[in-house]
Amino acid sequence: MQIELNNVHKTYEGAQPLHVLKGVNLSIEKGEFVSIMGASGSGKSTLLNILGILDNYDEGEYYVDGHLIKNLSERAAARYRNKTIGFVFQSFNLISFKTAVENVELPLFYQGVGRKRRHEMAMEYLDRLGLKDWAGHYPNEMSGGQKQRVAIARALITHPQIILADEPTGALDSKTSVEVMDLLGQLNREEKVTIIVVTHESGVANCTNRIIHIKDGIIGEIEENREHKASVFGTETIMK
Amino acid sequence: MRFDIDTYREIADSLVRNKRRSLLTGFGVFWGLFMLLFLIGGGAGLKELLANNFSGFANNTVILISSNTSMPYKGLKEGRYWSFEYKDVERLRQMVPELDVVAPMISAWSGSVAYESRTSTAGVKGITADYDKVETSKMKYGRYINEMDVEQERKVCVIGKDIYNELFPDGGDPCGSYVEVGSVHLQIIGVDFNSGNMSINQRASRSVCMPISVASKLYHRGTTVDILCLTGKSGVKMTTLEDRMRQVMARQHNFDPKDDQAMLILNTQQIFSIVDNLFRGLNFLIWLVGLGTLLAGAIGVSNIMMVTVKERTVEIGIRRAIGALPQEILMQIILESVSLTTIAGSFGIVFSTLMLRGLEMIAKSTFQIGFWTAIVAMLLLVVLGVIAGLAPALRAMHIKPVDAMRDE
Repeated sequence: MQIELNNVHKTYEGAQPLHVLKGVNLSIEKGEFVSIMGASGSGKSTLLNILGILDNYDEGEYYVDGHLIKNLSERAAARYRNKTIGFVFQSFNLISFKTAVENVELPLFYQGVGRKRRHEMAMEYLDRLGLKDWAGHYPNEMSGGQKQRVAIARALITHPQIILADEPTGALDSKTSVEVMDLLGQLNREEKVTIIVVTHESGVANCTNRIIHIKDGIIGEIEENREHKASVFGTETIMK
Repeated sequence: MRFDIDTYREIADSLVRNKRRSLLTGFGVFWGLFMLLFLIGGGAGLKELLANNFSGFANNTVILISSNTSMPYKGLKEGRYWSFEYKDVERLRQMVPELDVVAPMISAWSGSVAYESRTSTAGVKGITADYDKVETSKMKYGRYINEMDVEQERKVCVIGKDIYNELFPDGGDPCGSYVEVGSVHLQIIGVDFNSGNMSINQRASRSVCMPISVASKLYHRGTTVDILCLTGKSGVKMTTLEDRMRQVMARQHNFDPKDDQAMLILNTQQIFSIVDNLFRGLNFLIWLVGLGTLLAGAIGVSNIMMVTVKERTVEIGIRRAIGALPQEILMQIILESVSLTTIAGSFGIVFSTLMLRGLEMIAKSTFQIGFWTAIVAMLLLVVLGVIAGLAPALRAMHIKPVDAMRDE
């Protein structure tokens, strides 16, 4: 079991404490392609933040490869984020004053990889995603799909075991959404990377092999979706 | 933190991205450092200009001048006038062994000096060879008065720079020529180019000095002397000798040792200490204003860095999400701040040295700051940069990776 959550609780403190996750139990195998689906406010983003070690949880246990992830030091958390987990965000989160290739290089910079090697690797990944000619361009010179592919290249470059995608198609049109989801599926098949997609779009969820529904902070139905026929709208395309 | 070329590029990028903002922020530091260095240089130059006035004057000199008594003593009425005499020189030497030079002087306050058709007015002094140690001469031509001149009552004199210029407008060595001083002709044996502004009787440049023995006869002084000029041996504080000198003179000349007005004691040390205090105060002001301005500049940097960090929350969040350590973020912000202060400050150093060089062309003094002052200023800039960057950097360090996702 690569990812395991036991009875995870999370409450946002504030004037009115918000109990977002109310005992989440979840296991994800190595090499799975799953989606976490839920309406806004269901706690799916919070769950993703906890999975990505971007946020702490209050109660329960979270294991990655059998290691308990709880109250990690900043250094250890940064290591996990850098080496084990790759992120793909809804708003791409590329650094605007860096070119595509520089953005892809950045995780390697923080790993201490040499400048030349870094550049070679970044170019290699951009090439694989068909963006070689765009390496020198800044994010604002690229289309949404291109930007997301740069972000995926950035997530892949450290050879992570897990890729977390937070609404990866949220800012894309339906055609590019399909392309991006196909790309993620392809990566999952070819590289055996565990991919977890958080989404509220059933069409996107339909592209994955397992759909985990989350509602009001607890895991609801878990659909096996090997046939990709879960969504009545999603069999052919992604509805926007 | 890795220091490869990208670390510097990151810094350069973020500074260049907001050119105008960096420029304006940097100007605060630039101006602060310029002010500090310019004021330090200016203060030092001014002090030297003033010190030139005292040049050639021993700085532990005391001058004794006899005056009317103000208290009755041993049956003698107050208001009596008394004079020093030659023997007082020997008396003081023996009773106050801390003294180095005791030089008597006869002073005709003002007299006319004539050479051929030209005349000039000079302070006429009758002196001994020792006087050279009180008011150091800078002989342009010839020599100073020596002991033989005094002993043999040679009718010779040394003239000051201004007198020389007035009597000998064509220049040249005047030694051997005779000038008429009062009613006698004296042969010029030297020209003193000492141009200090502090002096006894008359500035050296406006003086005519002759052997005291000649002056004594010329002005009918008998055994009396007008003034005694004293210097202490090195390390002796002249103020501590004043009471003993007064007692020695009081006993000899029958005035009350408590009578401060009977003998005036002028101590150059006091004048020097006044000037010293003045410059100590000035220096304090210089540092206050200079460092204050610099500090204001540094606070400006800190402020702007704070804004920058706030603006870059997403960027920093992204960096954290892809594996940057908090201390790497901390270093990045501090390095940005240090770069800003050092680059701006270097221009301040360059500009202030140029301005001080300009001042040196106008005024005759050393205004330029020293090499080590510049090095220290440079170090100060680095320290200021670190301090200015600290608060914003700590703030940046506490940005969490989730903040990148929230702030869109």
